[in-house]
Amino acid sequence: MILLEPHNYIIQTTLAEKFTKPSSLDVQFVDFDGVRFHLSTPERKSALLLSMHIRCWDELVRYGAQEVLQREYGPLVQAQPEPEYNVSLVIDLDTAPPEGEERDNFVKSIALLKRNALAAPFELAFTKQKELESAGDGQGELTAIHYRDEEAIYIRAAHDRVTVIFSTVFREETDRIFGKVFLQEFVDARRLPTIQNAPQVLYTNRDPPLEIRHVPGLRDSEDIGYVTFVLFPRHFNNPTVAAGTISHIELFRDYLHYHIKCSKAYMQSRMRHRVAEFQKVLNRAKTEAATSTERKTVTGRTLHTR
Amino acid sequence: MSLLSPIICDNGTGYSKVGFAGNSDPSFVFPTAIATRGPASQPSRSGPAVPSKPGHLASKRGVEDLDFFIGDEALANAKTPGYGVSYPIRHGQIDNWDYMERYWEQTIFKYLRAEPEDHYFLLVRDQHCSTGLPDNLSVQTEPPLNPPENREQTAEIFFESFNIQGLYIAVQAVLALAASWSSNRVVDRTLTGTVIDSGDGVTHVIPCAEGYVIGSSIKHIPIAGRDLSQFVLNLMRERGEMVNVPPEDQLKIAGKVKENYTYVCQDIVKEFRKYDAEPYKYFERYDGEHSVTGRKYSVDVGYERFLAPEIFFNPEIYSSDFLTPLPEIVDGVIQGSPIDVRRGLYKNIVLSGGSTMFQHFGQRLKRDLKQIVDRRLEASAVSSGSVQKSSGVDVDVISHKRQRYAVWFGGSLLASLPEFYSSCHTKAQYDEVGPSIVRRYQIFGTAT
Ligand SMILES: Nc1ncnc2c1ncn2[C@@H]1O[C@H](COP(=O)(O)OP(=O)(O)OP(=O)(O)O)[C@@H](O)[C@H]1O
Ligand SMILES: [Mg+2]
Repeated sequence: MILLEPHNYIIQTTLAEKFTKPSSLDVQFVDFDGVRFHLSTPERKSALLLSMHIRCWDELVRYGAQEVLQREYGPLVQAQPEPEYNVSLVIDLDTAPPEGEERDNFVKSIALLKRNALAAPFELAFTKQKELESAGDGQGELTAIHYRDEEAIYIRAAHDRVTVIFSTVFREETDRIFGKVFLQEFVDARRLPTIQNAPQVLYTNRDPPLEIRHVPGLRDSEDIGYVTFVLFPRHFNNPTVAAGTISHIELFRDYLHYHIKCSKAYMQSRMRHRVAEFQKVLNRAKTEAATSTERKTVTGRTLHTR
Repeated sequence: MSLLSPIICDNGTGYSKVGFAGNSDPSFVFPTAIATRGPASQPSRSGPAVPSKPGHLASKRGVEDLDFFIGDEALANAKTPGYGVSYPIRHGQIDNWDYMERYWEQTIFKYLRAEPEDHYFLLVRDQHCSTGLPDNLSVQTEPPLNPPENREQTAEIFFESFNIQGLYIAVQAVLALAASWSSNRVVDRTLTGTVIDSGDGVTHVIPCAEGYVIGSSIKHIPIAGRDLSQFVLNLMRERGEMVNVPPEDQLKIAGKVKENYTYVCQDIVKEFRKYDAEPYKYFERYDGEHSVTGRKYSVDVGYERFLAPEIFFNPEIYSSDFLTPLPEIVDGVIQGSPIDVRRGLYKNIVLSGGSTMFQHFGQRLKRDLKQIVDRRLEASAVSSGSVQKSSGVDVDVISHKRQRYAVWFGGSLLASLPEFYSSCHTKAQYDEVGPSIVRRYQIFGTAT
């Protein structure tokens, strides 16, 4: 596995299991960016209630999350979500699609609940861009999604592009350095001819990019970084491509932090290897010293250990 | 985001149990296996690839730091050319830290989909690593082969690579005791008792007094799940059942037979007679399918149904170098513990782990152990010539619903208590003190 996948494994595996063997259930789990899920069978074994809490729900609703979820899940969406959660779906095992590809796709679509909710502001920006393009000029409103306590996504449509900016916090000095190197590589890699079509990426540390510099309350400290993606119509003209773009961009922050952690582990492996090599050398030196001394008594006889 | 539930990881020799505090079952149970590029047998012979020139790292290094699989996916990729499978834990101990770190990486990000920076973690430490006594005592009682560095390395990885919020390294046996609180036979939340944890690699018998492991009397038995599967395989091969099963699937089939058809009998001679009198009633049939060709086959399951777990009670039927029956070991462990806790240890014998799941296992253990204890009481009454009869010793073995993943479940219970957070080492404390902070160990959660 190299990329993180957009869907939630626990939802996917639990649903698949319950389809074959319905039983009562009550589990809580999470997803990236502070999302909390509750999956339970409050009424009967074959009716699963899946509820999600997401930090930036109010913002998402403002940018059309309800409509997106209605479109994706239709009647599954409950008018009244479970208390303490923002959205609830009821999955009835008895009326769901029959076994096979259809059911797998259904299960997968449920596992994409977080992805779909978070997709709303992106979809909105893509639509806005189309409008502005036909108008020939202008800029959309700057939308801000505060998806984590100290981190946000900013999206703005223009007549020829959609700009997406992530702010991210590096808790550790080492992470910041790795992050910088990694993002620099990202910027450089785009120069390779094979991936010239990828969106343009810019990275700045500490100073917010021009597009959001006027936003009040931005933190001004060393541990913050900004990643800017510039999406052109070719990245979202076709619905399938647009969906892929959204899935990747949504997870970018988590992928970045995952990659940093993997790189640290990789460095540590190399260091452990080095240490082990040195230790071997040292051990060799030690045994030679111990065996080469022959001990003798005063009278010249050799001592043997028994 | 401190509202997010703590993550509980119990990485066993055979299976890892991982999930979120507050749930009654782990979210994932998968093999503690990792498939990486390159041969598995000599993982660190040449070390990880080193870029030939400094500079443009990405183009030189590729993505091998991300290119690996864990758990069931690792086994599924075992036959993919270019990948090799390794098992980072041996006999309950971390054997390869490089693999273990990567295993955790993917567990957290890919399966649990958690940002480690947002969570507290409860990890399970094997009994080998420490006696669980407070630091000043444990320094002397640590078995020489198991330095505290194990815990320190773990802390280093979780705090420095993953930047987690807080860490609690729990003692396996204490969690198993906490798990038994879910049984309705356990009335007081006590952390005094004898834990019998039998997994895939080893079986431990661990006496605990008020949450502290009595390190000097722990016993390890070299018989566990893997041996039981091997024994089932031997028996079935001898009878010629395995001729239609491809060699690479045989051990797996033996494992399935063990998990699905076996039980502990109360009298082995009677059991043999029952089978011989009515084979059709007692023999079972296992149907399988060739993993590559899809050809169907079926095998008969016979005496191994009761013989497999019998090796705990009569080890001589399987092994020639380990011969002490489990009940005798348990008795020895308790007798080797301080006299004032012995009653508590006999009264609360708690089962934990996959290889204690056999039907009637607890019942048989209780009966055999009770016999040993009663015989000793009688003998001492006779030798002291006393006419007064001893009031006897209560022996009780607790089986419960959460026994299979008891250690994980105990972790889930303890990490849902409000005291959990104050018992953890936080990132700030770690940054101040360093890895040695994990030598401090705090008990919490008991009724008293
Ligand atoms: N129902 C069952 N009956 C008998 N054996 C079982 C059952 N379920 C699982 N097992 C066996 O239990 C073993 C796994 O148990 P467990 O997960 O407790 O071990 P582990 O934690 O991986 O290993 P260890 O504790 O030795 O490090 C396997 O050998 C498996 O075959
Ligand atoms: Mg175990």
